[in-house]
Amino acid sequence: MTDPVRPLPDAPGVAPGPAAAPSPPPPLLDADALARDAERLEAVWRGPRGFWGWLTSVDHKSIGKRYIVTAFLMFLAGGIEAAMMRAQLSGPLRGLIGPDRYNQIFTTHGSTMMFLFAVPMMNAMGLYFVPLMVGARNVAFPRLNAFGYYTYLVGVVFLYVSLFVNTGPDAGWTSYVPLAGPEFSPGHRVDVWAQLVTFTEIAALAAAVNIIVTTFKLRAPGMSLNRIPIFVWSQLVVSFMIVFAMPAVATASTIQLAADRAVGTQWFNPATGGDALLWQHIFWFFGHPEVYIVFLPALGFVTPIVETFARRRVFGYTAIVLANITTGFFAFGLWVHHMFATPIPELGQSLFTAASMVIAIPTGVQIFCWIATLFLGRSRMTTAMLFVLGFLFTFVNGGITGVMLASVAFDKQVHDTFFVVAHLHYVLLGGAVLPLFAGFYFWFPKITGRMLSETLGAWHFWLFTIGVNVTFFPMHILGLQGMPRRIYTYLPETGWGGLNLLASAGAVVIAVSVILFLINVWVSWTAGAVAGPNPWASSGLDWATASPPPVYNFVHPVVVEGRHPLWDTVGPLAVLTGLRTDRREELITTTFDALPDHRHQSPRHSIWPLYLALCMGVVWIGSMFSPWFVLGGFALSLLGLLGWGWQGSRASGPELVATPHDLVEAS
Amino acid sequence: MSPRVDEPLVEQRAVGDLSLLPTVTFGSRSLMWWGTLGFMVIEGWTLALIVAMYFYLRQNYDAWPPLHTPAPGIAVATWNLAVMLVSCVPAFLAARAGKRLDRGAARIWVTVLALFGLATVILRWYELWALNVRWDTNAYGTAAWTIVGVHATLLLLDVADTIGLSLFYWIGRSPVKMLSDTNDNSFYWYFTVGVWIPLYVIVYLGPRLFG
Amino acid sequence: MRRVALAAVLLLAACAGRQNVLNPVSPGNRQVNTLFWWMLGVGAAVWALVIVAFLWASLRARRRTREDLEVPVEPVPPEANRRATRIVGGLVALTAIILLVFLIYDFTVGRALAAHPSRALTIEIIGHQWWWEVRYLDPDPQRIVVDANELHLPAGDTVQVKLLSRDVIHSFWVPNIIGKRDLIPGYVSSIFLSPDRPGVYRAQCAEFCGHEHAKMALPVVVHPRDGFSQWLQRARTPAAAPADSLALAGRTVFLAGSCSSCHAITGEPAYASLGPDLTHLASRRTLAAGTLVNTPGNLAGWIVDPQAVKPGALMPANALAPRDLRALLAYLETLK
Repeated sequence: MTDPVRPLPDAPGVAPGPAAAPSPPPPLLDADALARDAERLEAVWRGPRGFWGWLTSVDHKSIGKRYIVTAFLMFLAGGIEAAMMRAQLSGPLRGLIGPDRYNQIFTTHGSTMMFLFAVPMMNAMGLYFVPLMVGARNVAFPRLNAFGYYTYLVGVVFLYVSLFVNTGPDAGWTSYVPLAGPEFSPGHRVDVWAQLVTFTEIAALAAAVNIIVTTFKLRAPGMSLNRIPIFVWSQLVVSFMIVFAMPAVATASTIQLAADRAVGTQWFNPATGGDALLWQHIFWFFGHPEVYIVFLPALGFVTPIVETFARRRVFGYTAIVLANITTGFFAFGLWVHHMFATPIPELGQSLFTAASMVIAIPTGVQIFCWIATLFLGRSRMTTAMLFVLGFLFTFVNGGITGVMLASVAFDKQVHDTFFVVAHLHYVLLGGAVLPLFAGFYFWFPKITGRMLSETLGAWHFWLFTIGVNVTFFPMHILGLQGMPRRIYTYLPETGWGGLNLLASAGAVVIAVSVILFLINVWVSWTAGAVAGPNPWASSGLDWATASPPPVYNFVHPVVVEGRHPLWDTVGPLAVLTGLRTDRREELITTTFDALPDHRHQSPRHSIWPLYLALCMGVVWIGSMFSPWFVLGGFALSLLGLLGWGWQGSRASGPELVATPHDLVEAS
Repeated sequence: MSPRVDEPLVEQRAVGDLSLLPTVTFGSRSLMWWGTLGFMVIEGWTLALIVAMYFYLRQNYDAWPPLHTPAPGIAVATWNLAVMLVSCVPAFLAARAGKRLDRGAARIWVTVLALFGLATVILRWYELWALNVRWDTNAYGTAAWTIVGVHATLLLLDVADTIGLSLFYWIGRSPVKMLSDTNDNSFYWYFTVGVWIPLYVIVYLGPRLFG
Repeated sequence: MRRVALAAVLLLAACAGRQNVLNPVSPGNRQVNTLFWWMLGVGAAVWALVIVAFLWASLRARRRTREDLEVPVEPVPPEANRRATRIVGGLVALTAIILLVFLIYDFTVGRALAAHPSRALTIEIIGHQWWWEVRYLDPDPQRIVVDANELHLPAGDTVQVKLLSRDVIHSFWVPNIIGKRDLIPGYVSSIFLSPDRPGVYRAQCAEFCGHEHAKMALPVVVHPRDGFSQWLQRARTPAAAPADSLALAGRTVFLAGSCSSCHAITGEPAYASLGPDLTHLASRRTLAAGTLVNTPGNLAGWIVDPQAVKPGALMPANALAPRDLRALLAYLETLK
C-alpha cells in the first residue's frame, strides 16, 4: 500500500507582488491548450444530461439558480398575500376576508417572507457567488448544498399545500405561546409552522457551513483574509450568525413548541412550572439576528456595485469589514427590545436600549464609506445604482425609526402597532429587497449571459420605490393613531380608513412594478443583449470567467494579487496549473494566507441529497400525526446515509497522502 | 436560453504548478474536519441553549427537583459516563492508526469504538428512565429529558456513523481518504463524550448537590 | 377668530374617543411625546443629509456611457484619501454623539416614568379572549366592583393597574394615557395611570390574541375627580329587581336560560364568570368590547347572533323566541 516516500514539493508560491519583479515573465498559456483543458473539465464536472442529471446535480450554480428562482417565487407568493391583506384593510369593516382566513394569510405572509424568501434568497446569492468570487470550482460540500436546497423546497411545498387545505399557520410568524400552544391552537395549523421552521433552519445551517468552509479553505491562492471581497465577508459574517441563531429557533420550534403540542412537554405552561416568556426570549434571540442575517448580505451587494460604477476601489475596506463583524456581534445583544412591554427589569431594558442604539453606528460607517467612495470617483447611474439610491432613501428612514424604537418609553407607545409594521418594512424592503434588485440588475448578466433592459429597469425602480414609500409611510401615522398590527379589520370611528386606503393604493403600484420586473427578466433572458464576461468592467473574480460561468468555473485557479483582482492585475491573469482534469479536483488553500495546501476531490453528482431531504420530510411532516413516521423516516434515511458514504468511499485514481509525519503515494 | 458565445478567454500566464500537492490530508487541513467542526459548534450551541433554559426554568421553583419529584438515580448514568470515557481509548487508537495509514489497525479500533458506542446507546435508554420523572410531569421533567434526549440523538448519530465506517472497512471499500475520515470520526467522538461531562453533572448530580 | 375657535372645538370633538399617541393627556406621555418629536426632528435631518450627500456624490460628475466604464481604475490620491478619512471619522463621531444624547435623554424619561406619587386606587384588569374584565379593588371584599369592557379613571389622580391574563397574552395600551404593558399568563404586572384631562379615550388590545384580536377594544372614561367617586359609588350598588312585568319576564329568561351559565349579575343568583359581568350593562357605552354602540337594536343583534359581529367569539348564538328576546332586552336595559 505504501510506496517510498517522496519529498514534499515546495509549495508553489503565490506570485510575488509587483515590488519584487519576477525575473523572466512567465509565458502565456497556449490558447489551444486552454481550450483543451476546458473541454476535459467540462466533461468531468458536468453530470449526466436530462432530467436525472437535473435531479442529481451538485453544481453550486445550478443549485444556486434554483434557490434564487424558488425564493423569488416565494417573494411573489408573500406579495400576493400582502395584496389580499391590503384589499381587506383598504376600508373599515370590509368583509372580503374573515378573521380565520386573515390570520392564516398574515401568518403565512410573515413566515414566507422571513423563512422562505429573505434568508434563502440571501443564502442563494452566497451559494451562487461566493465560490465564483473566491475563485473556487464549487462549494466545499456540494451534496450538503443540494440537500439544503431540497429540504427548503420540501418546506415550501409543505407550507403552501397546508395553506390551500385550510391548515395554514395562524398564530403569527412569531407564534407566541400560549396562543400557539396545544390549548389555544388545537389542530395542525401551528404544527405546520413549527415544522416549516425546522426545514428552513436546516437549509440555512447547511448553507452557512458551506459558505464558511468555502470561504476559509477554497479561496484562490493569494486571497489572504484581508483581500476577501466585501460581498464574501458579509456572507461569512452572516453564516456565523446563522450558526448561532438558527439553533435557537430550532430549539424553540422543534424541541419546545412542537414537543409541547405533540407529546405534552411543559416548557410554556405556568401551571407546571413552565414559562410563557421563555418562548419570547429564545425566539427573539434568533429573531433579532435574523433581521441582520437578511440585511448584511444585502449591504454586501452594495459595495461592489458602488465601487464598480464609481470607478473607485471602495473607501474604508477595513472599516466596512469591521462594521460587518461588529454588527454580527451586537445583533445577538438586543433581542429584549422586542419585549419592552413585558414585565422585565428596567435596568436590563436600558442595556438593550444602549445596544440597539450602538448598532446604528457600524451601519452608519458602511453608508459613509459608500458616499465617500462616490465622492472620490465619478459615477454612472445604471439601474443598479438607482436601486442603491432607493435603498438609502428607504433604508435610512427605517434605520432612524429603528433608533427611535430603541427608546423604551417611545417603544411602549408604538410596539405592536402599524408604526412597527412600517419600520420593519422600511428596513427589510429598503435594506434587503432594494439592494437585492440592485444585485439582480448587476449580476443577472453573470447568471444568464444577457443584460437586463435598463429602460424597463428604470421604470421598475421608480414604481417600486414610490410604491413602497406610499404603502408604508402612512403606516407610521396609523401606528401613532393607535392601529395595532395583526388586525383583520377596524371600526369606522377609529378614523384609520383614509390612510389605509392610501397604503392599499401604494400596494397596487408595487404590484405593477414587480410585474414590469418579471417582464424584463423574461424578455432579457430570451433576447437581451449578450453580456460578455465582464459587462460592467468590474473587479471581482466572478467577472474573470465567462457569462454564464462554465460548470467548472475556472480553467485554472487564479492567483490573486490584491483586493480587486481584475483591476490590480495589469496584463494577463496569473494562474496555477497542474490540477487534474480527469477527475473533479479543486485547490484547497490555507485559512489565513490562502497558500496552496492540497488538492481535494469534489464529489460527483448524487441522488442521495434529494432522497435524504424527502426522508426528512417524512420525519417532520409525519411527526405531526404519529411518532411512527419519525422512526420510519429515520430508518429510510439510514439507507440514504449509507449511500452517501458509499459514494464518498469510491476510490478514483492514485492519491498523494500527507500524513502528519510524511508524504506518501497511495491508491 | 443562455447565449453560447465563444468568449476569448482572458489571457493567462502560469506562475506555478500544483500537480505535486497532496490529495489527502489529516486534521484541520482537510475539509471534512471543518465540516465536523461546524456540526460540533451547532450541536454544542444547541445544548448550551437548552442548558440555559433548564436554569431559566429552575428560577420558577423553590426546590429542585420540585416537591414530590424524586431526584434522578445516578448509578446507570455514572456507569455510562465511565463507558464513554473508556471508549476514548479505541477512538484515539483508531485515529492514530489512521494517521499512520495502518488500515488493519484502523479497522479493528473503529469496530471496537462502534461496539462501545452501541453499549452507551443501550445504557442511555435506562439512563433516561433513571431520571425518575416523566417529560410531561412538569417543567423540570421536560428540561431534564430534553437535555439527555438531545444528547442521545447526537450519540445515536455518531454511533451510526461509526458503524457505517467500520462496515466500509470490513467490506473493503476503504480508499486512503477514509483513514482521514477515521481521524475526524474520533475527533467527533471526543466531542460527544466531552460535552456529556457537564451535562451529566447538571442533570444527574446537580439536583442532589445544589437542590 | 371665533370661527377658528369653533372649528378647533369641532375638530377636537371629532377626535374624542380616538386613540392618538400625539395627543397625550398624562404627564408621562407628554414627556414621551416631546422625546418623540426631538428624535423625529434630528432623525429627519440626518436622513436628509445622507440623501443629499449621496445624490451630490453620485450625480456631480456622471459618466454618461457604458464605454465610460472601460477605463483603468486609478488609486485615490493620498491627500484626498486622508481628507475623506477625516470627514468619515467626523461623521461617525457625530453619529455616536447624537446616539449618546438620545440614550441619556431616553434614560431620564424612563426614570421620570418610573417615579410614582401615592396612588388612590388599585384596579385589576384581566384579559380574556376577547374582552376585558375590570375589578376595582378594595380592602373590603364587599366593596370590590367587578365590571367589564370599560375602564373608569379619575382625572388628576394616580391609579395602580394590575394586569393579568386568564388565557393567552394580551396587551393593555391607552395611547393618550400610557404605553403598552402585556398581560401574560403566569405573571402579574403593575403599571400606574395618571390621566389629567377628563374625556373618553380608546384602548385596544395590542398583542395578537387570536380570532377577534381586532375587536377587543376598551373605552377609557376619565372623570373629573368628584365625578369618579360618584361613578364608583353607583357601581357598588347591586342590581335592583325590575319593576315592570316585561322586565321581570326577561329576568326569568336570563336566569333560567343559558345567559346565566356564563354571565354574572351582582344581586341576582347569577355568578358565572366565563363572560363579562353584566351588573351595569345598560350604562356602558359599547357592547362586545368596544365593537358596537350600546343600543337596544345592537344588543338584540349581538345576543341572537354574536358570530355575525365577532366571528370566532366564544359566545354562542341564542335562538330566542321574539317575546323572550323583547323581555330579555327590557330586563338588560334596567341594569344601569
